Amino acid sequence: MIRRLPGSARVALAFVLLLWIVAAVSPAFTARAADIRLEERLLPPSLAHPFGTDDLGRDLAARVIAATPISLTIGLVAAAVSVVVGFGVGAAGGYLGGVADLLLSRLTEVVLCFPVLFLLLALAAFLPPSPATVVLAIGLTTWPADARYARAEILKAKNLDYARAAKAAGARPARVVLRHLLPNALPPLLVSAAFGVSWAILAEAALSFLGVGLPPPAASWGGILSAAPSYIEEAWWLALFPGLALFATVSAYNLLAEGLRQATTEAGGI
Amino acid sequence: MGDARRVGDSGEAELTRYVVRRILLAIPTLFGIVVLVFLLLHLAPGSPVSASGSPESGRRVSGAAREEMRRLYDLHLPLPERFGKWIGRVVRFDLGESFVDRRPVSERIREALPATLALNGLALLLTLAIAIPLGVVAGGRPEGPFDRISAVALFALYSMPVFWAALLLQSLLSVELGWLPLYGVSSDDAPGGIAGIGDRLAHLALPVTCLTYGSLAFLARIVRAGVVDARSQVYFTAALARGVSRRAALWRHAFRNALLPVITLLGLLLPGLLSGSVIVERIFAWPGLGRLYFDSILSRDYPVVLGLSLVGAVATLAATLAADVAYAFADPRVRESA
Repeated sequence: MIRRLPGSARVALAFVLLLWIVAAVSPAFTARAADIRLEERLLPPSLAHPFGTDDLGRDLAARVIAATPISLTIGLVAAAVSVVVGFGVGAAGGYLGGVADLLLSRLTEVVLCFPVLFLLLALAAFLPPSPATVVLAIGLTTWPADARYARAEILKAKNLDYARAAKAAGARPARVVLRHLLPNALPPLLVSAAFGVSWAILAEAALSFLGVGLPPPAASWGGILSAAPSYIEEAWWLALFPGLALFATVSAYNLLAEGLRQATTEAGGI
Repeated sequence: MGDARRVGDSGEAELTRYVVRRILLAIPTLFGIVVLVFLLLHLAPGSPVSASGSPESGRRVSGAAREEMRRLYDLHLPLPERFGKWIGRVVRFDLGESFVDRRPVSERIREALPATLALNGLALLLTLAIAIPLGVVAGGRPEGPFDRISAVALFALYSMPVFWAALLLQSLLSVELGWLPLYGVSSDDAPGGIAGIGDRLAHLALPVTCLTYGSLAFLARIVRAGVVDARSQVYFTAALARGVSRRAALWRHAFRNALLPVITLLGLLLPGLLSGSVIVERIFAWPGLGRLYFDSILSRDYPVVLGLSLVGAVATLAATLAADVAYAFADPRVRESA
């Protein structure tokens, strides 16, 4: 499967792996990231502080590294929630058809009508603050796209011979969907999930940037960025580096997703 | 599927049937939106559901606010009756009063609307004005140098978080170079009337840019895909065979067909623009709907939060409906097979 990916997507995949390695070694930087030195506040980038220091004199590079696992994990888990909910709704509608499909399709349409950030903010602000809230808020607002993919795939596959054979052999709907149809719907769902990860990382960053994401002391890239507007006239590095980490990560996941899409559509399945 | 060549009265009748069907399908969606906002209300602290919930920091509400919630949303009534009252108020367009300043929610929305419309209207025009030519030219020569370069640039724009772009533009163009104002709608010392237009435009430049580049990247890719697809169609080859120049074939034939999917997407751009407005209006201190929504979330002004959610979702539904109907009129295939 990796062999079929275009070159750019392979580079992106390598970068994503590198990010996870950084996340794995990041605990070594947490002490440094939390080290407050008021006499060193808002220092520009230098050899001692490659990304500069923040408003409390903490080393920005250490903070950006220490935030890696939070941003990556939340992105991954939230995208997983979104795919599971989306697949459930989309597959149920596509397979059952009729009234169930009509209702589930309306439900998907209803959620799509809301500006995503409106719902995200309301959920994140109204529910008790915790990582689980952030993950649920993101997963529960972004599933409609996954549902549409899943529904289309199930509709395409459910009348093919192998699915009818499974049904004729007495398999229950849940088994037909999970054991027979899901594996075939997997490639497009994987693409949707990869785009979903980048989307979820952005969504978490936006929430934390606006101050309704993860409760302190946890700090994601978006959380670090939330201090930047106050110091925009004196410390550009506060905005540049955490945002750069975010941008590079989102680009890598998007490139990977785009490569997966090409590999699965042009070569006809993984 | 109707006969592809059928025209005239029966085509019109089918078009009408399609439009009616589409509107009928929107009714349950509208109902769903009203229900979802009603459910959102029950997540709010101070409501029956969350009253017993967590006593965590800062998300509790005072006794007075809880009393207010009870009165305003009839929380003492059993669920079905409460829902009935909610529907009754929505139907009368009664969105309640803001907790913050006691003024009707609809009035506060109306006040903030022009600022957001100016911002998003300009952003939308700019998006279309750049994305469409870009997509057509890139799709006209797939894998050519322009296509490759624009693909990379659009991809980078697509992956760029809007708040990061906003901060970078501020620190480069406003702080370092001093070309554009950092935030706000106009300068305090700006002249009024016509003379103040330059100042207003300068204040619009950064927020409009931030709202434009994301949807621009998205839309240009769609247009490009449409043009690439159209180039492989028989009518395109036929036009070239008739002696139509490549450029004319591209703009007269491929372009018009690539435009069709753009119509449907226009409706779907609205929620994205509103989402973007929340962040952009906050960073640039822009007094529009996005900032009203965010401020209301922070101050737990539930009537405004619920009212704006409802209005935003219904506006999106109306926009997608209008886009689908416009599509049906524009595309003869839908017109005749509906």
